[in-house]
Amino acid sequence: MAAIAVHQFAQCITCHAWSPDHSMIAFCPNNSEVHIHKLVEEKWERIHVLQKHDQIVSGIDWSIRSNRIVTVSHDRNSYVWNQEGVDWVPTLVILRLNRAALCVQWSPRENKFAVGSGAKTVCICYYEQENNWWVSKLIRKRHDSSVTSVAWHPNNILLATTSTDGKCRVFSTFIKGVDTRDSGTGSAGDSKFGEQIIQLDLSFCWSFGVKWSPSGNTLAYVGHNSMIYFVDEVGPAPSAQTVAFRDLPLRDVLFVSERMVIGVGFDCNPMVFAAEERGLWTFLRFLGERKASSSSAKYGSQFSEAFGKLYGQSKQGINNDRAETSIPRGAIHENCINSIVPLKKGGKSTNTRFSTSGLDGKVVIWDLENQEDLSEYL
Amino acid sequence: MSKTDLSSVGRAEDCSRVKSPQLILRSLVRIRQVGNFFYPFCNEIHGNRYRILAKRLLKSNTTGLKAGATIACALLSSLSQIDTSLFFHSTMANPLRLYLTCIRNTLEAAMCLQNFPCQEVERHNKPEVELKTSPELLLNPVLICRNEAEKCLIETSINSLRISLKVKQADELENILTKKFLRFLSMRAEAFQVLRRKPVQGYDISFLITNYHCEEMQKQKLIDFIVQFMEDIDKEISELKLSVNTRGRLVATEFLKQFI
Repeated sequence: MAAIAVHQFAQCITCHAWSPDHSMIAFCPNNSEVHIHKLVEEKWERIHVLQKHDQIVSGIDWSIRSNRIVTVSHDRNSYVWNQEGVDWVPTLVILRLNRAALCVQWSPRENKFAVGSGAKTVCICYYEQENNWWVSKLIRKRHDSSVTSVAWHPNNILLATTSTDGKCRVFSTFIKGVDTRDSGTGSAGDSKFGEQIIQLDLSFCWSFGVKWSPSGNTLAYVGHNSMIYFVDEVGPAPSAQTVAFRDLPLRDVLFVSERMVIGVGFDCNPMVFAAEERGLWTFLRFLGERKASSSSAKYGSQFSEAFGKLYGQSKQGINNDRAETSIPRGAIHENCINSIVPLKKGGKSTNTRFSTSGLDGKVVIWDLENQEDLSEYL
Repeated sequence: MSKTDLSSVGRAEDCSRVKSPQLILRSLVRIRQVGNFFYPFCNEIHGNRYRILAKRLLKSNTTGLKAGATIACALLSSLSQIDTSLFFHSTMANPLRLYLTCIRNTLEAAMCLQNFPCQEVERHNKPEVELKTSPELLLNPVLICRNEAEKCLIETSINSLRISLKVKQADELENILTKKFLRFLSMRAEAFQVLRRKPVQGYDISFLITNYHCEEMQKQKLIDFIVQFMEDIDKEISELKLSVNTRGRLVATEFLKQFI
C-alpha cells in the first residue's frame, strides 16, 4: 500500500504545509483560521490557531531553512509568521492587491515569495531590512485572468505561473539588491524584473498546478480538459508534450523525480505519470487501490430482494430498469484532492514521500519506496 | 446491413455543429429509419454516444465556441415505438434509462467545481454561472434532449453548475399539474439546498450547485439526487393526473346521479 498514514484533521482542508522536520503540520480547515498540529506521543494535537485573516485562507507555505510560515487569503492580505518562543507572531505584507490572493510559494533561497491573485497579477514579495517590512513588487501585465498557481525555478529567478485563461507563463523575477547576477543563474539572470521569458499556449481550458522538475529542466502543468502538459528546455525553443487521460481533470502535480510526476485532482486518487528512456511521458497507473466497485445496483435492501422473490422477480426487473448507479471514486480520499506537498528529507536527492489533502478533510501521507513497478523511475 | 448504415447512425452526433433545426431533424429521421432494421445495435450506439457526449464537455474549447452553441442529442422517443413492435427485452430498451445515464455521465464530468473568488468585485465569491461576468470562466453549455418536450440543459462554470429541466407535458392537464407541482417545490427551495428559486427561462425547474455543496455533500449523492428527482417527477405527474381523472369521474358520476 502506497499510503502509509491517513489523518482526518477537519471537515474540509483547502491547503496544508509541513514544518521543516515534519513534526508539525499547518492547514486551513476551509475557514479564515490556520491550525497547527503537532505529533505528540503518536497523537496529533492542536497546538496553535493562527487567526488574523478574515476570509478563507487559500495558500500556506512553510519555509524549510528559516522556519517561517506565509499565508495568503481571499481577503487580499498575506502574513508572514515568525516563531518567537512558543508563539507565532504575524507580520502583515502589503500586497497592494485589490482581489483575492489565491496561491503562495517561498522561493528556493527563501528570500522572496510569490503570490498569485484574482486581480490577474503576481506579487513578488521580499524583505526590506532598513524598514523591517515585507515589500511587494507586482507583475501587472500579461495575465488575462486569475493566476491559479505559481512555481519557482531552482535558480531562484524564474517563476512559472498558470492562469484561468489557459496559459502558462514564465517570468524573470530578478530584484536588485536581493538577487545577485553571478549566482549561477545563467542566462536567466540577464533579464529585468517582470520580463516574460515564455508563454505556453497549449491548453484550451483553465490551467492549474504548475511545477518544475528538481533540476529545473522540465515544467509540468495541468489543464481542466483532462490533460497534463510537459515542457522541456524552457527558453527560446521549448519542446512540449501533451498527455490526455480518460479520467476527471487534475488540480495539482508534483515531481517525485526527473522522470516521474504525481497528479492529484477530481478523481480522488493520485495518478502516476512517468517518462520512459526516450523522454516520452505516459500515464502509468493510479497510486491508491480502487475499491471493488459494487457492480449490481444496490437500490433495494435485503428486504425488498425477498419481496422480489415473492413477486416472481418482478421487483428485480424494475431495479435493473433504472439508470445505472454511479461508480464509486477514489480509495482513500473521498472528495477532490486539491493539494500535494513533498516531504523532503535533507541530504537526499530524490524524495519518495509526499502528502495530499482534499475537500474530505483528510491528509494522507504516501511513500513510493516499496512500489516495485515505480522504482525504476525514481 | 452494410457498414454505411452504421456510419449514418453515428453521424447524428454531428448535429452538434449544425445550427439549423431542419438538418438535425433530418439526421434524426435517418436514425429512425435505420433503427427499424438495425434495432439490436441501436441501443448500444446510443449508449456510446452518451458517453462521448459526457466527455465532450471537458474537451470543449471555452474560448473557441460561443455560449450559444449547444450540443443537440438524438430524440429517443422513436425507440419506444420500435421496441413495442419488436418485443425486445424491456430492461434493455428503456429509453428513459439511456437519457438518465447520459445526464448522469455529463454531470459526473461537469461537477468538477472549486472555490473561486470573483475577479470583478472585491471580496465577493459568487456563482460565476449566474453572474457571467468573465466569459473565460464559463464552459460550453450542454443540452441533452429526449424529445421536443423533455430536455435538460447543463451549464458549467469554474465554481458552479446549473441544471435546468423541461418536464414532459403531453396535454393541458399535465401542463397545469407540472406548473403547480414544480412551483410548490421551488417555493420550498431552502429545504432542497440545490434547488433554484426560479427556473431558467424556457425550463420548468432549475438546480444550482456550487462548490460549497460539493464540499459539504458527496458528489455521487448529489448526482444520484438529481437523477432520482428526474425519475420521480414523471411518476409523480402521471400519478397526479390519474388521481385528478379518477376524482373527476367520481364527481361527475355523483353529479349526474341526481338526474336519474
